[in-house]
Amino acid sequence: MNVDISEVTRRFGRAQAVAGVSLETGPGVFGLLGPNGAGKTTLLRMLATVIPPSSGQVRLLGRDPGGHGPRREIRRRLGYLPQNLGYYPGFTVAEFVEYFALLKEMPPRQVPQAVATAIERVDLGGRARAKLRTLSGGMLRRAGIAQAIVNEPELLLLDEPTAGLDPEQRVAFRALLRDLAERATVIVSTHLVEDVGAACSQVGVMDAGKIVFQGTPDELIACGEGTSAVGDAPLERGYSAVLVSARTAALVA
Amino acid sequence: MTYRTGPDRDRCPEDVDLGRVWLTVAAEVWRRRPGLVERLAALALRSPGLARALVTTSSLLPGWLMASAIVLAVGMFATLGTGTPYVALFAPAVAAAGIAYAYGPGVDPAWELSQSMAVSDRMVLLVRVLVVFALNAVLGLAASAASGTAAAVTFGWLVPMTAVSALALAAATVTRSANAGVAVGLAAWVITVLSVYSGSGHVATAVVSSTLILPYLAAAVAGGTIAWFATRIPKGTS
Repeated sequence: MNVDISEVTRRFGRAQAVAGVSLETGPGVFGLLGPNGAGKTTLLRMLATVIPPSSGQVRLLGRDPGGHGPRREIRRRLGYLPQNLGYYPGFTVAEFVEYFALLKEMPPRQVPQAVATAIERVDLGGRARAKLRTLSGGMLRRAGIAQAIVNEPELLLLDEPTAGLDPEQRVAFRALLRDLAERATVIVSTHLVEDVGAACSQVGVMDAGKIVFQGTPDELIACGEGTSAVGDAPLERGYSAVLVSARTAALVA
Repeated sequence: MTYRTGPDRDRCPEDVDLGRVWLTVAAEVWRRRPGLVERLAALALRSPGLARALVTTSSLLPGWLMASAIVLAVGMFATLGTGTPYVALFAPAVAAAGIAYAYGPGVDPAWELSQSMAVSDRMVLLVRVLVVFALNAVLGLAASAASGTAAAVTFGWLVPMTAVSALALAAATVTRSANAGVAVGLAAWVITVLSVYSGSGHVATAVVSSTLILPYLAAAVAGGTIAWFATRIPKGTS
């Protein structure tokens, strides 16, 4: 299993962002759905080794990220796209992707080819030498995806990757996800239910810091059948039904 | 070599992967040629990633360096005009501000991303701090030499500069705010200078008094330890 976490929690002062999440997943695309404040970003930041859990066990790529050596090894094989991608406005797209390839300790000789490949995969070849400050929001997002995949990661964590992408780009991005997931574990946090239906083999729904549903997209759809859950598509109705059920159970408890 | 002519002239041989050829060409065209400073840093640090991180330091950008040089040049002329070693008084504050703006959220745009990288953010911080400190020390020494200040004063301000820089770094890493780091560093230095001045009647006593060396060194060690602790990745609860 590339991701194996057990009863993981994370607190920020008095607020509990993640409240006992367990998850095991291997290669494939795992979609993480949930409303704002559900804990998706915090969970991804823990998986990206940016912040440690307050409690619980985390094993990534068969290693414990608590130790310096294993954490460094995990980070070499990790791709991460944060929700708010910071960038150096004076860098070109190619310089930006190259910078993170170097920080991931890729062998310097492999870096130029890997950078070109990553940029072409997100269809930014025509803007590779453009300064980041001249790019649109969607292009910046694609530059962020390029840096995340430049090292051919075994674990790829994407926080709202399709934000700002137009429909055509989103379709291309889903194809890229499926391609990457043949070798890697890809965890995608998103608000867009249709992304999950089109690209994910597994899906988890988070609410109030917990995973309240885990299964296939078809199983999520089944949760909404025969209910009065709101939604324009079967997957949306399944998502709504799961949230209503989880919140009702929490109230009863 | 034979040249193809006629309708087949522009056709690519079937065993050539044009996509791969293009990527090889693109890789060569798009790659960044590091400047002299970056190449030297990569050799010295034995890490191209750290070298690239170094040249993205806000306080190593031309604007910062020019501002530091101007402040110390003004200090040099003020020293020449009044006889008071203003360079020695300015240098610690300039270095503290530069170091607070070396790394961190709000200063480094890609800070969140950098924290998930194999080259540890603590190493990036350490290297940037060392370079900013060294550059400010060189600028200060040049200004001191030009103003003809005594060697004792020139080297005297290096110790308080270390202490004030360490305090600024500690405050910046603990509060995760470069502005807070600058505020604490400058406040500490102004309070030190004024309190020593009120006791001795000489504004330069804070940088020439040998009795202050030990307290400065203690402050430097304390600040460095706090910064080291603040940048660790804790294992347990938050």
